[in-house]
Amino acid sequence: MLGYTIRRLLQFVPILIGLVTVLFALLNILPGDPARMMAGPFADPDVVKTIREEMGFDRPLWIQYLDNLWDLARGEFGRSYQSRRPILKDILEVFPKTVQLAIAAELTSALMGIWLGVIAATRRNGWADRLIMTIAALNLSFPLFWLALMLQIVFAVFWRLLPPSGYGSGFDSFIILPAVTLALPSLGLLARITRAALLEIMGEDYIRTARAKGLRGPLVMRRHILPNALIPIVTTIGTDFVRLLGGIPIIEVIFVWPGIGKYAYDALVFRDLPALQASVIVLAVSVSLVNLVVDLLYAFINPRIRYV
Amino acid sequence: MRSSIREFATFDWRRFRQARLPLVGVGVILVFVLLAALAPFIVSDPTQIEMRREQDGETITPPFPPNPRNLFGTDQLGRDIFARVVFGLRTSLIVGILVRGLSMVAGTMLGLISGYFPKAVDDVIMRITDIMLAFPVILLAMTVTAVLGPGLVTVCVALALVAWPDVARLVRGQVLAVREQSYVESARCVGAGNWRILLRHVLPNCMGPIIVAFSMGIPGAIMYEAGLSFFGFGIQPPTPNLGSIISDGRGYITVAPWYPGFPGLVLTLLVLSVNLVGDGLIDVMNPRAARGVGSGHSAA
Repeated sequence: MLGYTIRRLLQFVPILIGLVTVLFALLNILPGDPARMMAGPFADPDVVKTIREEMGFDRPLWIQYLDNLWDLARGEFGRSYQSRRPILKDILEVFPKTVQLAIAAELTSALMGIWLGVIAATRRNGWADRLIMTIAALNLSFPLFWLALMLQIVFAVFWRLLPPSGYGSGFDSFIILPAVTLALPSLGLLARITRAALLEIMGEDYIRTARAKGLRGPLVMRRHILPNALIPIVTTIGTDFVRLLGGIPIIEVIFVWPGIGKYAYDALVFRDLPALQASVIVLAVSVSLVNLVVDLLYAFINPRIRYV
Repeated sequence: MRSSIREFATFDWRRFRQARLPLVGVGVILVFVLLAALAPFIVSDPTQIEMRREQDGETITPPFPPNPRNLFGTDQLGRDIFARVVFGLRTSLIVGILVRGLSMVAGTMLGLISGYFPKAVDDVIMRITDIMLAFPVILLAMTVTAVLGPGLVTVCVALALVAWPDVARLVRGQVLAVREQSYVESARCVGAGNWRILLRHVLPNCMGPIIVAFSMGIPGAIMYEAGLSFFGFGIQPPTPNLGSIISDGRGYITVAPWYPGFPGLVLTLLVLSVNLVGDGLIDVMNPRAARGVGSGHSAA
């Protein structure tokens, strides 16, 4: 298991190098002179020239590229063009906020999705089941940015229950709208998977045995059905968490959540190339770590799987 | 021995879902396609500005709420939102088909090559897909449009660029299974070349999942395009476009909720219909492997 983990982590090194290479190529075609961006629109040409020499923008591209790679290999993200602060400092500030949002969203999605799936499965073909499954089918179709806007209108503008956007102190009323918006599209999928997994287990002989020996419905569900149906559910939560991380930049920008997605977006808008590069790397690494954790968790839940 | 009376009861409902909903989807798409194709003949000029209007003896200023003349109301310049949405549908449909077409062609070619040719080729292509898949999709698409400049073509290129790796993986998986079949061996025995085998024997036998992947990927393309335009990285005004209408409407959500509301509903309906058709195709063709391909379709 340890060997597997190490191998997976090592596999990520060439991917990261590729990522940096693609980004470097893209960002150097990007119109706009970074030295001029840093100096400001009305700067003296001499100042621009000084900055260009200081930052090394006048060197050949391939030297800049290797230099960039070497810096990153030493964990040196450089300074933001925009804030002039070390990017690592910025990232350490914004990343935990993204983690908060992602966890809140995934918890909402997982708990609600499993709960709805259990309801649908236990009342199979009843009106509740049909309602939940219909909503589950609809769920996947909402554009995230529009859903965000509509929830803002309803809960923040008309009912004034929640703040429309911004960041409070972490897990407070500010996190509810962005987390729920992120959770909604995946909730339906999870409900569907849960329902299907439960229905399959419910047909097994040992469930009939459990009922026959007089266990109550909820207890059978908690003790015998849910644990055995856990594998597809956990797998779905894992893949769903990855999907959810993909929506994070959109949600953070709309809800002005000062996380790494908003940081990356701002960096792109202001052509702050090192900041954009750093945040893309951090996001990519987090996604692959989540993938790895999901795979390991999968083996943990299902002892029949062994990674070697 | 699980079948019971209850199972019988599910039968109709399931068949209803499997057979009717995709048809509903096809119907909605047809209506949208007709609207988009005949837009200039059906709706008024989407750029027509109207800064004041007499109503009940009073002069009112835009945005006008929905009324018989403006089904979805108007924007802050008095432009008819229904007309703008219909023209925006054109963009969405074109982008959806074009992006998916581009990414399918590129992904299928690379998937065929990757699955069929020696391991070294396979490794190179698969490592490239690994790299592309590691990118945060929306950020990569935004960066590419920032590099290429905004506009319909660049948006399509950017979105195709982020979508092909999934297709390549799917097709590669199919090829790996198909190339072991005896008919491939027979073709080789009678002297068919690699490309002939690939295009005449392997590709046709991968078509089921490819068709499903095509339809399952369209909603994602439509939503990402709208998302990019919403953030100002996509198609620029004055080209009517659902994402930018919703974006413009953001500032008016308190006084004119219909302004961002209706375009979003239409977008949702379009995406939902294409999803329904895709689900229907899966049920008809049942290529299990294609299920995961549409997974990007809710990320925007």
